[in-house]
Parts: sequence; C-alpha cells; structure tokens
Amino acid sequence: MAQRDIDRVIIGCKKGDEACFTQLVDIYGRRCFGYFYRLTSNRDLSDELLSELFVKLVEKIGTYRGGSFDGWIFTMASNIFHDHLRFKQRQTRLLDEHGKRIKSQSSGVASGYDGDADKLQMALGELDSDVRELVMMRFYSQMSFKEIAESRREPIGTILSKVHRGLKRLRELMG
Amino acid sequence: MDEAAARQTAEDIEKGEEILGAYSAPQPDERVLAEVKKNIVAALRRRRTVVFQRRILGAAVAAAIVVVSVLTMIRYGNPLNSHQTRMVAASIPSRVWEGADDADVTILTAEIENIQSELSGAQSEDTGGNGSNDVGDLETELIEINGDMWKG
Repeated sequence: MAQRDIDRVIIGCKKGDEACFTQLVDIYGRRCFGYFYRLTSNRDLSDELLSELFVKLVEKIGTYRGGSFDGWIFTMASNIFHDHLRFKQRQTRLLDEHGKRIKSQSSGVASGYDGDADKLQMALGELDSDVRELVMMRFYSQMSFKEIAESRREPIGTILSKVHRGLKRLRELMG
Repeated sequence: MDEAAARQTAEDIEKGEEILGAYSAPQPDERVLAEVKKNIVAALRRRRTVVFQRRILGAAVAAAIVVVSVLTMIRYGNPLNSHQTRMVAASIPSRVWEGADDADVTILTAEIENIQSELSGAQSEDTGGNGSNDVGDLETELIEINGDMWKG
C-alpha cells in the first residue's frame, strides 16, 4: 500500500472511523504479530499482545503527531512487550514467595517455545533479550538506527553495536 | 571505526537481516485478526460514550452555575464574581463528571433549564406582591435538584 494511502487511513483513524482502524489491522496486524511471536515464541501470547496493542492504539491515536508511523506503532508494541515482561517478573516473584500452590494455578502462563518453533526461533532464544528485541524491532518496523536510538533514548552507536553483535551471532548459530 | 570495519559491520547486518527474511514468522489466524477488529469497534464505542457523557455533564454543570448566579443576583442584587463562580464550580464532586447515567443527566439538565427560565421570568416581573414567594419556591426547588444531583 502506498504511503499516501496509509496516511489517509491514519487520518481516518484520528477521526474515529471504524473502517480505517480495520484497514490499519490489515496493514500492520501481521507484522506486529510476527514481532511479538519472535520475542515470545508463543502464538497465544502473541495474539493477546496484538489485541492489546490495537486497543491501546484506539486510545492513543490522537497523540500521533506525524513522523514515522511505523516507528510510532512499534514503539508502542515494544512498550506493551516490556509491560508484559514486568508482569511476568512480578508473577515469578509471587511464585517464589507462595510456592507450588500458586505455580499449579498459573500453569497457563506462557513460557518457552510452543510446538511450531522454527530453527530461527531457537537461535533467537540464544541471544540476549535486549539484543533480540532490538534486532526484531529493526527488522519488523524497518526503522533506521537513528529512529530506534531516539525511540529507546540510547546513543546510536550503542544500538548499532548491539544489532550488529546480535545479527553476527545469529549467523553463527544458523550456521 | 575505520572504513574497513564500517564496511564489515554493514555487511554483517545485511547478511543477518537476510536470514531473518528467509525465515518468516508464523501468520496470525484470520479469526484472531477478526477478534482484534471487534475489540477495536468496542473500544471506539466506549470512547464515544465517555465523550458524550462528559459533554452532557459539562452542559448540566454550566447550567447549574448560571442558575446559582441568577439566584444570587435576584437575592442580593449582584451577580457572582469570578471567585464565587470558581467556588461553585469547585464544589461539584468529581464523580458527577464520571459516573452519571445518560437519562439522569438529560432529566437533570431539562429541570435546570426550566428553573432557569422561570427565574428569568420572575426577575423580569415588577412583582405584584408575590414575586418574592416565587423566587423562594424556585430556590427550594433548585436546592432539592442539587441534592438529587449529588446523590447521583
């Protein structure tokens, strides 16, 4: 879809047009799902995060003030993923505190790979979580290193170095 | 970083991203995307309802301030000054902005507008003896409505 058409859809979304939001799901839904899946290795969890992302998008679309929409939406996706990680950490602490009883009740919480993990997914699992997220953000959002650095409030050299290290290691692992 | 190192870095990144491109991630089910769209429609409707309620409540509160202002003018001969107006506005509980039902707000707004027009009528009459009683009755009615408003 041409950038001009995407811009038209975004303007419609800002006016609260349901059809435009539906189009936005068609444009970004699969890419954002891929991003979540590569980070979580879990389809069900990726479904949940995707749904959360678009509901949040409805709330926040008014705050989009131009610039790279891909960067904007993937920054939001990254924040949702980090919220999920924090939730998981809290849950882990609770499990430590309350032991097996709660653990058995929480067995539905996603962790590790689901059945259809591919070779790349396994290799990604070997990377440091921060590096893995940067590599995925760069790949799925198509953001420049400068945009990623601004979004993460980190020096561009640090971002470049992490992505380079991650992709080099990935090549080794994929042999 | 020298030129050779920069070239090597660019090449590593390019080749690494080629691998990512060669292994595409699984696609979401169409059912999931349909569910996401349904959730969006629900979220949009919730948002519209909240905006509508806030507008109605804003109108009701503004009308209440006008009524109090007119009432004060009738009784004391001076309209509320800006400080008094702010005091009236500040005394309105925040839950009024969030919790009321649409139907209640509509009825309340209609009642306030009715009293406002009656007050204006009473004020414009050169009272033939019972004008002050009319104002007293209206004042009582206003106090009752205000009481209902705070109770929700």
